[in-house]
Amino acid sequence: MTSVCHGRVVIGVIGDDIHIVGNRIMQLALEESGFQVFNLRTRNRPEEFYQAALEVNADAVFVSSLNGEGEHWCADFRSLFREIGLGHVLLYVGGNIVVGKRPKEEVARLFKQFGFDRVYHQEPDISVAIADLQEDLKHGAAQRAGKAHEH
Amino acid sequence: MARPSAQARLTNIEKYRAQVLSHPLGRGIFPDEVRDHLAKVPRQRFPRVVYANRGPDPCIQPRGGFPLFEMQYQLTQQLSQAGADFIPLTIDSYTRHNEYDTATQLLHRSEEEGKSYLNGYPLISHGHELTRQLYCDLEKPVSLRHGTPDARLLAEVAIASGIAEIEGGAICYCLPYSEGFPLDRCLLYWQYVDRVCAVNSTEDLPIHRESFGPLTATLVPPSVVIAVEIIEALLAAEQGVTSFAVSFGQTGSIIQDIATATVLRELTRYYLDQFGFGSVQSYLVYHQWMGQFPAQRERAAALIACSAIISSIIGADKIVVKTVDEALGVPRPEINAEACDTVRYVLRTFRSAETVTSPMIEREMALIGSEVKSIMDAIFDISGSAFWESVFRAFQLGYLDVPFSPHADNANKLLSVRDGNGSIRIADAAAVPISDHDARVERELLESREDRSDKTYRQMLTDIRLMV
Repeated sequence: MTSVCHGRVVIGVIGDDIHIVGNRIMQLALEESGFQVFNLRTRNRPEEFYQAALEVNADAVFVSSLNGEGEHWCADFRSLFREIGLGHVLLYVGGNIVVGKRPKEEVARLFKQFGFDRVYHQEPDISVAIADLQEDLKHGAAQRAGKAHEH
Repeated sequence: MARPSAQARLTNIEKYRAQVLSHPLGRGIFPDEVRDHLAKVPRQRFPRVVYANRGPDPCIQPRGGFPLFEMQYQLTQQLSQAGADFIPLTIDSYTRHNEYDTATQLLHRSEEEGKSYLNGYPLISHGHELTRQLYCDLEKPVSLRHGTPDARLLAEVAIASGIAEIEGGAICYCLPYSEGFPLDRCLLYWQYVDRVCAVNSTEDLPIHRESFGPLTATLVPPSVVIAVEIIEALLAAEQGVTSFAVSFGQTGSIIQDIATATVLRELTRYYLDQFGFGSVQSYLVYHQWMGQFPAQRERAAALIACSAIISSIIGADKIVVKTVDEALGVPRPEINAEACDTVRYVLRTFRSAETVTSPMIEREMALIGSEVKSIMDAIFDISGSAFWESVFRAFQLGYLDVPFSPHADNANKLLSVRDGNGSIRIADAAAVPISDHDARVERELLESREDRSDKTYRQMLTDIRLMV
């Protein structure tokens, strides 16, 4: 494991979803890539994510959903973060985030409307998200704050 | 320092039972009437009798539970005709979480609409009188399969229904199934379950307890499984249980399966004897692969056949079977019946040699055995006035650490991956107190892995999908 800290990331599974395996692997993958991880584990509501992000001064929040409850819980995500002054925090979502079979592009569009920066619906390779996160964090907070207003 | 002891036995159990049975859904249960009923139940409904007469092959147990009485009755008949030696009664998840009102509402809705709104049989909602009717013509043991941290009322209703095998335990039904049910309370509630099994037992016909060794079924090192199984056997013995099965899930390595079975059987006996529980009869149950199953039915069938052979090689008393539709969701009764038949065919056709061993198996046994002893010694040395307290503290200290448990009381610091032959290795023991020597051996064995230089999370992903 590298000792360089690339950023502070809050992760967790949203809704009444107790799929823990992906969550643990995600934590390990981020830690092995040098991130500091704050893991909310399973069964979280949106407020638990923004409260944690505020508490640990997170650079990014990674929401996951395996049972498809994501769509229901994520709709107000960006505005909830903005309300408490965290509009600049990167928001990622991944897993199996909607119920039923729907085209990936449609799902990505939907969650971008919710204010997510990156959407990984049924993406088997975690390293894609990690590479994106490293890239996005290079741009610095000020730029992201500007970007957040676009939504 | 608290050692397991018969002195930990719950006193005043009659009063405690009266409290539990005062629940509106437990009110028709009278301990004397239950004992009378158990005395009339056929002997073949008791696991001890079936295990004593089982012949060379392991007993076969499928899975299954439906909300409606009629459906459960048909499933029972179908499985019995297909050659199942043990009949499952799988409980729905609302009942498992003590949400009896919701379970009852959804049962009514299922009855009205003829559709299943529950993922198992709501035993407490149905009650013991109706449930006795499920089994009025059955001469095989019924096994209660659930996953309930607080199973006090559930166990009462099950035993009152004439069910003589109760699966579960304070650790194995809490850490893999719950993220927040307090482990200390769970330990106390399972004392009750064990005690109630004991007081409903006679010398010849005990109510049998079985632990669930697969735990999270995701890269759990054998030494952790074995320690948990021994602990649950000891906790049950403390309460007077005299018939107990330890179990484990197929590891993914034949070498490790054989070694695990041998060490689990020997050390369970060793620790029971050491603490004065020599009269407790212990059995070994093997679960077919509990991880992610291949979606391709041919592969699933091959996996089921291979694990059937392994159960025979390790001399398991019982094998719990999977179906070819495992990857697709809850299997239909016919598919479950088919699985019993496949396993029976394999067991009958390929009777194994009495013992199988090799230098690799010997080495694996020595390593696992040494690790289990280190873990158990460390737990016995934890301060506390009762053994269950030491067990609770062991989790807080990270001495026991179950990979991929969602539970808040679990440390989640231990890292495990597979070595070159598929055996589960401890890459980082964290606070689990194995010796430095054993930790070094585990790491050395990992070197046989081809993608060893890759990141741990990638190795883990490969390992989890081993059988897919």
